[in-house]
Amino acid sequence: MTKRGILSYWRFYLALSPFYILFLIFGLYPMASTILLGFQKWDGFSPRTFVGLQNFAFLIEDSTFWLALKNTVVLFFMSTVPTLAIALVLAVMLNSAVRFSSVYRIAYFIPNITSLVAAAIFFAAVFSTNFGLINSGLRALGIETQDWLGQPWGIKIAISTMIVWQWAGYNTIIYLAGLQAIPREQYEAAKVDGAGATRTFFSITLPQLRPVVLFTVVTATIGGLQTFTEPQVMVGNSGGVGQSGLTIVMYFYQQAFLNNDYGYAAAIALSIFMLVLLFTAINWKLVGGRGKQ
Amino acid sequence: MDLSRRTLLAGGLAAVIGGTVVACSSGMDTGSAKKNATGNLALWCWPGGLGKSVLDDTIAHFPDQHIKFSEVGGDFKQKLLTTFSGGTSIPDITGIKGEDIASLLPQASRFVDLKTIGADDAFLGQYLEWKVKQATTLDGKVLGIPIDIGPTALFYREDVFTAGGLPGDPAAVGAQMKSWDDFLQAGVELKAKNPKAFIVADAVDMYGTIVNQGTSRYIDKDNKFIGDQDHIRKAWDTAVKAITLKVDGKNLGGTNDWNAGLDQGTVPTVVGAAWVALDIKAAAKTSVGKWRVAPTPGGPANFGGSFLAITKNAADPKAAFEVIKYMLSPDNEAKAFADAQIFPATPAAYDKPQLKAADPFFGGQVPIDVFGPAAKDIPIAYEAPLDAAIAVPFTDALKLVQVGKKTSDAAWAEAIEKAKQIGKRQGVQ
Repeated sequence: MTKRGILSYWRFYLALSPFYILFLIFGLYPMASTILLGFQKWDGFSPRTFVGLQNFAFLIEDSTFWLALKNTVVLFFMSTVPTLAIALVLAVMLNSAVRFSSVYRIAYFIPNITSLVAAAIFFAAVFSTNFGLINSGLRALGIETQDWLGQPWGIKIAISTMIVWQWAGYNTIIYLAGLQAIPREQYEAAKVDGAGATRTFFSITLPQLRPVVLFTVVTATIGGLQTFTEPQVMVGNSGGVGQSGLTIVMYFYQQAFLNNDYGYAAAIALSIFMLVLLFTAINWKLVGGRGKQ
Repeated sequence: MDLSRRTLLAGGLAAVIGGTVVACSSGMDTGSAKKNATGNLALWCWPGGLGKSVLDDTIAHFPDQHIKFSEVGGDFKQKLLTTFSGGTSIPDITGIKGEDIASLLPQASRFVDLKTIGADDAFLGQYLEWKVKQATTLDGKVLGIPIDIGPTALFYREDVFTAGGLPGDPAAVGAQMKSWDDFLQAGVELKAKNPKAFIVADAVDMYGTIVNQGTSRYIDKDNKFIGDQDHIRKAWDTAVKAITLKVDGKNLGGTNDWNAGLDQGTVPTVVGAAWVALDIKAAAKTSVGKWRVAPTPGGPANFGGSFLAITKNAADPKAAFEVIKYMLSPDNEAKAFADAQIFPATPAAYDKPQLKAADPFFGGQVPIDVFGPAAKDIPIAYEAPLDAAIAVPFTDALKLVQVGKKTSDAAWAEAIEKAKQIGKRQGVQ
């Protein structure tokens, strides 16, 4: 074997470099910059000044921050749990022999590639008080109408409904791929052993799907904790009544781009980062543990 | 699976933080204004900010300046700020929106004091004094020349008013609804006759208007928090009164319910700036010709209205000022009004034919008869850079009163506490 210097591999490094160069500029650099900014005060114009942990000290005292954090977590559960449950049911249904299954797949996936802003405007219209579709339906059924976007809980329902609508189809497709990878023999063996549909689902389908479920839970966590567009378009920058739709990313946006308080915003961004990290770790433990039966 | 998990997480992290902050160390070198290259004059404004015919005419009128106009869409202030931080391609002349001017005054070092390049008292005297004040720093530098203003009026449905036993004629409406209390009283009468008609479109919006009618706001010139004082509390109490009298329709401007309500008569009034007429006209289909304009109850206020400023980077500030002087002359401000309803900041323009025109949407009324006197009467109030941020807790808390989640006093106490906290972070006493 001839010794070869690292330089002789330049072609390979060159081939790999686009990702790393882009990541360096648009990933790592802003990340490092944000961490630094979290300890500074900056209005976007004046020179930055170092303020130590002051931003974080304010963060702890800031009731709006804690409210935004609570909203984010509540919205995350209100949207992720139904999304994944509906997706699993849909996937199992699509996986059994149905006609036109690709038509359904496309139909379920379309919300995911629909423009978020357009969809949010549409949902705001559906939930509007006097002339909205939902209230018209309630009226037709003789049920009392609700001021959906004018009530703290109504805002949360409207936002999570939209998230479910948007993400159920995407996760269905992922689950479907996972379902199709499960060997047919296992189902046949279960049938021979006399297992019913429910037993088969819980003893074979679900355990075999575990890595796929982990994937969807992790992506849903990362996405869900960064909810921004839906509430911003539906209830505006302030987060609506009682700031019920104010998510943590919206609060970050308010501080950075409306109040130009970039240092404080960076501190909020770092807290989002910690939160995502924490939730991902929990998910990993809960769903991903290599449990044997 | 391992690989994809890792890339997934890396991607997630990058998305969390990568998407966040523009930032960079190049923002450090402030104040050192590199001059733009001579020969071209870069002019930035947002879509619809300047009248099309005025702009074309100005470009043609200064052939030697090679004016290069950029229409900058989206978040204008953010883009201006980012460009300043980047240090290159900074425009010679830039528009500044009315809502951003207060927060840009502390950055006076980025802009040319127009007084030093020919904006003398005689020139500035052509513009409304209160509007020029908005672009004047506490130490007297004038950073911008007003493009337009947003004087408020009461837009109302004449047919709904007369059917509800209220006067229909603008002069009579103005005479009867001089104060907010009169207005709310009229609202009670209207609702007794027509339970679906709420005279206040949105009490939170009304609160903002009343604050704008005052001569002081949330922070005074000594950077002291004064949002807990009587002038704000009175605005608050008036809005709460609208809620308790049940004449508040809770229809936020621009929402579907608001749009539909304009035609259906459930939103029979809109208190808003002159430019709100565009929104009403866009949304109203069956009520064309039934709208009228009357003076704002409680006196005129202003919402919005922008400026043109010259950056320190301008290659030739004097030449840039000549361009502004021409473009924002009373004649051209009148033309801009004809172009795109850009309401002039120069009282001399109010007598021009473009503004004297009758408007069939308002049943042949001449809106300037209401807006003209209002524009000259707008109170001068000091707006601190942090004012907009401090106002947010108040409107948020008022919304809770509006939907019955909090009592007025509890919400007020919460608003004061939050406002003080925001102020404290930024050094307000």
